[in-house]
Amino acid sequence: MARLGGRGNLDPKKVSGELFSLTYGALVAQILKDYENVDDVNKQLEKMGYNIGIRMVEDFLCRTSSGKCHDFRDTADKIQLAFKLFLNLSPTVTSWSSTSDEFSLIFDTNPVAEFVELPDHCYNLRYANILAGAIRGALEMVHIEVACWFVQDTLKGDNVTELRIKFLRRIEDSVPPGDD
Amino acid sequence: MAIFNIFIVSKSGGLIYHYDQANAPMQEVEKTFGFPLDIKLKREGSRVVVAFGQRDGIRLGHSLLSVNGVPLTSGTELQDGRDAFEVIEAKENYPLALKFGRPKATTNEKIVLASMFYPLFALAVQLSPELGSSGIQELETDTFKLHCMQTLTGVKFLVVCDPKQAGVDQLLDKLYELYADFALKNPFYSLEMPIRADLFDQNLQIAIEQIERTGFI
Amino acid sequence: MTIFNLWLFDEKGNLIYYREWNRKKNTSMERNEEAKLLYGMLFSIKSFVNKLSPADMKDGFLSYKTSKYRLNYYETPTGVKLVMNTDTTVTHPIVRDLLKSVYGQIYVEYAVKNPMYVLGQPIESELFGVKLDDLVRASPLFKA
Repeated sequence: MARLGGRGNLDPKKVSGELFSLTYGALVAQILKDYENVDDVNKQLEKMGYNIGIRMVEDFLCRTSSGKCHDFRDTADKIQLAFKLFLNLSPTVTSWSSTSDEFSLIFDTNPVAEFVELPDHCYNLRYANILAGAIRGALEMVHIEVACWFVQDTLKGDNVTELRIKFLRRIEDSVPPGDD
Repeated sequence: MAIFNIFIVSKSGGLIYHYDQANAPMQEVEKTFGFPLDIKLKREGSRVVVAFGQRDGIRLGHSLLSVNGVPLTSGTELQDGRDAFEVIEAKENYPLALKFGRPKATTNEKIVLASMFYPLFALAVQLSPELGSSGIQELETDTFKLHCMQTLTGVKFLVVCDPKQAGVDQLLDKLYELYADFALKNPFYSLEMPIRADLFDQNLQIAIEQIERTGFI
Repeated sequence: MTIFNLWLFDEKGNLIYYREWNRKKNTSMERNEEAKLLYGMLFSIKSFVNKLSPADMKDGFLSYKTSKYRLNYYETPTGVKLVMNTDTTVTHPIVRDLLKSVYGQIYVEYAVKNPMYVLGQPIESELFGVKLDDLVRASPLFKA
């Protein structure tokens, strides 16, 4: 993700968006070469995102001095803010389920795929799956377990890119370890 | 300013007296919900508790108190014998009026709480970075402050009050005095037993009212 | 005013960092034993305080004080727990700000963002130690 100025500085030192897209593209292409199977690549991207998410969340928390979420709508707002902070994107939050435990983030374009055209043989590649992983990882660290997946993708000819996020459960506080 | 609770814990760790603020404000919210329910509930001990999805004054940790006006008795059972979770999950029961609130501790829970404090007190001595430390004297949270005084004979007086309440040290001294006067000097009071004495209650009440009003005794 | 020591626990209660400055008494306990005891106590205090509170809590447990020291507590939404023992003349809000800086300026910057650091493992980075020491010694609370 774009390296932003640390030390609680809200004025971000940005790396060029183009450089970022290119780097990410090269990465995806290389993983695709290494794994060959598209499903495995999707998994790897998700895993990488997860590993970024579990760290990035701390940066987000100390910079925004956020508290814990008490409601999934809170969570949605915070995710939206995080996209603004880390990627300078402003996705729309919509399509709430009636039980308020599922919503969509809509991006006008695919946020990390500026120059990408998917080759035919990897139609199933979820190119930006790293984002889904990052969200899952970040929320897991604040004790919210979610599922996160792409519903629409501009790379596949859809009008928008839609990321769906579903609340699964609250993770309980861990009890101190016993003597074992 | 307010004094929320007072506990007296005997040398052996038993609760021998407790006072609760009369007419403490009870936070209760009743709301009518449509199906499906957009608040996550979970079972916690013998209560049904809000786990996620706080809104309209219903907060995390609040307990379900009644369903359509029928109170919950114990656990998930309603007074009319139905199971609260079953009622909530069935679509035909909606719209449903659910009442939530912050549960008050029962006497039993208070005895447990008082006995919980004892090991914490002792651990604070053991974990001290300095020699010769006492146990916990003050414990601060964002909603209340707990003051503790231990007498040389091992009796503990605990006062739970508003974080900004002044003069609590004086109240603790007063409490000790009242304990000595109206419990110990009473020939019919036996040590380690619960204190049931009208004079003690009355004098304590006077002291509490004064300190809540003026901040000193 | 004095700062005695600092404990850092991860979400699961593993001790990930310990540092002392002016600690006078050393227990016969192993550090790990002591950490377990401390974490257990904090866990009980949290549950105790939750049951006792007259209203809904936001930050929950903040600090306690004995005749010789004050234990100051700060927990992040991710469950990282920072405990700093100071002398009793220090009031809590000032230490809380220092703990927040330790979290934001030291832990996040020199542990979380260090790709070689595995979350939940003891922090062995020298840079982390140096930066922490600088921050703490620069604090007005610190007097050797």
